[in-house]
Amino acid sequence: MKRPVPFWRLKLAAAVAFLFCSLTLRSTPADLNLRAQLVWGTNNEKPDDPKLQDVDPQVKEKLRGVFKWKNYFEVNRQNFTVTTSGSKKVKMSDLCQIEIQNLGGSSIEVKLYGNGKMVVRKTQKIKPNELLVLAGDDKNDTAWFVVLTQMEK
Amino acid sequence: MINHETELKVQAFLDGELSAAEAAQIGELITRDPEAGSLIADLKATSALLNGNEPELPVPESREFYWSRIHRQIELHEQRAAAVDSGEAIPPGWVRFLAPAGALIALAVFVAVSLRSPEGGSPILARDDGHEIETPLEETSSFSFRSEAAAMTVVWVDSHRE
Repeated sequence: MKRPVPFWRLKLAAAVAFLFCSLTLRSTPADLNLRAQLVWGTNNEKPDDPKLQDVDPQVKEKLRGVFKWKNYFEVNRQNFTVTTSGSKKVKMSDLCQIEIQNLGGSSIEVKLYGNGKMVVRKTQKIKPNELLVLAGDDKNDTAWFVVLTQMEK
Repeated sequence: MINHETELKVQAFLDGELSAAEAAQIGELITRDPEAGSLIADLKATSALLNGNEPELPVPESREFYWSRIHRQIELHEQRAAAVDSGEAIPPGWVRFLAPAGALIALAVFVAVSLRSPEGGSPILARDDGHEIETPLEETSSFSFRSEAAAMTVVWVDSHRE
């Protein structure tokens, strides 16, 4: 029969383990590979504009599941990497620009600029297969969307 | 009909455990009461059956060796119990102080480090609830919501367009 470990030793080991974990179990600092899509949503059919592309079906279905618009067209797409503790400015259109800062631990700060002015700033955790969407209404009952996705490595 | 207490006395009569007076009384009952007589007959038959057919299981070792093994096992068990008791003695004062103090220090370090502002460097642990939203322009407002079904977080910007 083995001699049981005294309880005070267990407590000491737990404290040491907790200290070790708190100092070493950090969220792995990693660069973030992101994709930003500028999307236009409308209930009308696709206009005759070669710049407009169909949004990939997965994103389209997600947008349809949340918003009222039936059709979504991609105006621009940017893939980029934000280094650890770094930031990146990405131009989505002549009027729209976003700035992403990598806060570490899969957290980002997104700043959306319209006509050079910061319109909104959002801090958010981002995960693969999840979307962070900045959106607003546009003229003629349409809407714009900036869809941010973390790309799989 | 005889009661349970009388049944027990009949059994004790058979085993020779009754006093002389009680034995005479039960003996008289057995001769007089057919039920008591039947009971004593059954008990005698059962006793004879057991005595004649009870299997004997010989111990492979000698009696002394058999009991000495039991005795050694008891001694060994008592020695282990004593050792465990001495192992759970109260630890020294510095150890009793160090364990909770270490836990508190670890907790303080963990909280301080994990909640450190990202200013000047990335935090070791990002706050899960650190979702912030700011809309600096007066002519715009915004709100945020999340759709679990779509795995989507939305920041809706309302520009108060006419």
